[in-house]
Amino acid sequence: MAFELGPHTLAIDGSALPDKQLIGGKAWSIARMRALGLSVPPAFVVTARACTGFLESGAMPDGLADELARGIAWLEEASDCRFGGSGRPLLVSVRSGAAISMPGMMDTVLNLGITDATEAALAGATGDARFARDTHRRFLDLYARIVLKAVIPDLDEHATPADWRKVIEDAGGAPVPTDPRAQLLAAVQAVFESWNSRRARRYRQHHGIPDTLGTAVTVQAMVFGNLDEQSGTGVLFSRNPLTGERAPYGEYLARAQGEDVVSGRYTPLPLSALGAQMPAVHAELLTAAATLERENGDVQDIEFTVQAGKLFLLQTRSAKRAPAAAVRFAVDMVNEGSIDEATALSRVTAEQVRTLLSPRLAEGAAAAADCVAKGEAACQGVGVGIVVTNTDEAERRALAGEAIVLARATTSPDDVHGMIACRAVVTEQGGATSHAAVVSRALGVACVVGCGDGSVTALEGRLVTVDGASGCLYAGALPVVAPDENAEPSLAALTRWAEARAPLTVLADGGPDALDLTSVDGGEDIERLPALIAGHGCVRGGAIASDGGVRAALAAGVRVIVASPRLPVLLAALEATREQA
Amino acid sequence: MNDMHLALHGVAIKKHAAATVVAGAVGLSEARADSLLKEAATGGRVVEAQGGYVLSPAGRMILDNQYSRFYGELRADQAFVAAYDRFERVNVELKQVITDWQTLDVGGQKVRNDHSNKDYDAGVLDRLGEVHERFEPILAQLIRGLPRLAVYRHKLESALEEAERGQVQWVSDAKIESYHTVWFEMHEDLLRVLGRAREE
Repeated sequence: MAFELGPHTLAIDGSALPDKQLIGGKAWSIARMRALGLSVPPAFVVTARACTGFLESGAMPDGLADELARGIAWLEEASDCRFGGSGRPLLVSVRSGAAISMPGMMDTVLNLGITDATEAALAGATGDARFARDTHRRFLDLYARIVLKAVIPDLDEHATPADWRKVIEDAGGAPVPTDPRAQLLAAVQAVFESWNSRRARRYRQHHGIPDTLGTAVTVQAMVFGNLDEQSGTGVLFSRNPLTGERAPYGEYLARAQGEDVVSGRYTPLPLSALGAQMPAVHAELLTAAATLERENGDVQDIEFTVQAGKLFLLQTRSAKRAPAAAVRFAVDMVNEGSIDEATALSRVTAEQVRTLLSPRLAEGAAAAADCVAKGEAACQGVGVGIVVTNTDEAERRALAGEAIVLARATTSPDDVHGMIACRAVVTEQGGATSHAAVVSRALGVACVVGCGDGSVTALEGRLVTVDGASGCLYAGALPVVAPDENAEPSLAALTRWAEARAPLTVLADGGPDALDLTSVDGGEDIERLPALIAGHGCVRGGAIASDGGVRAALAAGVRVIVASPRLPVLLAALEATREQA
Repeated sequence: MNDMHLALHGVAIKKHAAATVVAGAVGLSEARADSLLKEAATGGRVVEAQGGYVLSPAGRMILDNQYSRFYGELRADQAFVAAYDRFERVNVELKQVITDWQTLDVGGQKVRNDHSNKDYDAGVLDRLGEVHERFEPILAQLIRGLPRLAVYRHKLESALEEAERGQVQWVSDAKIESYHTVWFEMHEDLLRVLGRAREE
């Protein structure tokens, strides 16, 4: 058993795996990593039972403060740091963790344990007074927002902790306790209370999760990647998440904390930099990645910190992946014998294959072309057409069958109809979050934004090629090619496996007796498909090859779909079958 | 305020929409919106095509010139304008959340989010819910100044709830009244009411 610190609290020492219901997903994952012999910052957990008790009685369980003290003492011993005192300071993170994750739960409070005294100690330990002060500010900011639920203005970076405390109190928040043990108890209570937030209750209601489960609270020692020259922080993928290549891929920032990676203030180095500086740590990390990939049966994305030459794993999860990598991971792992074909098929979506097979600029075409405007790539895809700046005119001409590229300074809801009809959308102002970018992505229309004032509206009437992947507009119509699903061995393998399992047949062509939805009014409208395809055994065209179309076909008992490429249709059919199971 | 202005304003916000949709957007009865839009069509201020209305160039000019007259008092209402300024700050966060919903950062490269990673989606939806909760008191303040804005409260809530039920298209699909569609129409509405220009 992870050993008991009291009736409501468990120290996670990796000796056995406690019940996930009791300790929540986060602590369970830490316990599992420790059980695998991996190096994780020490943590203890206040169980969901304590939360249930609080929710029933409205009061914190008797003796919880003492149990938290024992938990902290255990973390101090395990980390050789002191909480709220002098010497190397112990700071902790406090996070909610129900067995099932849900929205509306309390966000993580970081750096709890920092006080005026420990700030000085942290400054001494890291040799970086600015960092220690900033850590203090970020803690007060999170504590005020999350635990005190105060609406506070941004805390001025150049002010002092006393100023920040005053700002928080003036903003209507209660004073921040000066004793970190009182802060910890309040943070735990705030997690318990967040179980009954409106959003969490609504989510449980929709998903039939009992209100009585309660949430656990994980308290974990924080580690510092900026402690000395033998420290740093980074991210490791157990395989390349862009190409799928079976080689570790990652970034490392020497002498930096996690938030430095996010802030973009520093340029991360490739993982080999860690290998050059600390080969043993690098080797340990790669071994850990291989272990986690094997245990979890999927490619992992691992956050880690090196503190004074010692590796700590902070978090591991299934890696996010680009479409090409999704395909290669799935096929390679079957060939390696680590997953079966059905699992591989569940890890590649129809949408990913459509993206891989979508038309793109022919090899070398861009190099020889004249780039007439350049902006931020907002939605991938290639669009060739005549530039039109008036949205109504663009829509009219596009609906009449012309290939049109809509060029605007910015877009507004007034332009959406034109955007739907066009081959590409380009704007002069705005970035990746602008209206044009968001709507184009929602529509799947190639889009380049922020090309600069006067840049694209000046192209009115010209024929251009918009490359939504690179952010370039080229003069003229460049050659566009669509990759062939049969030419790529891993796609062919997936197709073979999918065919053996799919609940219907997919033909690339043929089917002379097929109902062709392209020539049927409403054939592009998913909502109308069920009525249109009822009684037909074989269907092609219209919206039948989309995910919704395939679902409708299965529901209507269609046996054959004629579509090319075939693999996305097969994958959508398998997905629909899994959903029903 | 007059009803004809509201009807034209509704057409500006809800382009190509039928009278019933325009009515819902600006809080007119369906019958009233229908008769006003027919009248506007006769007067050449709107054009009807395939069951939906769009403003004519003249209609657009007339409408644009009316805002300062009808909303002069609101533009001087400090509580309303302050709430709008707070909305603009939340708007920056909302746009980032929607962008994160649509794109995945994979090893530093942006790829389209195909919503196969449930944990990632759940995290973004949680943030959307947070932004919504922070926006609620701001919207309440805006509604105190301009009661017809209450229509957005209902639409945003129902889009958010649909998304939380697992209907992913209710976050940013451009062809339905998804959270982003409604948010953007509300933004456009506020820009027109206050006579501000969109800043991307």
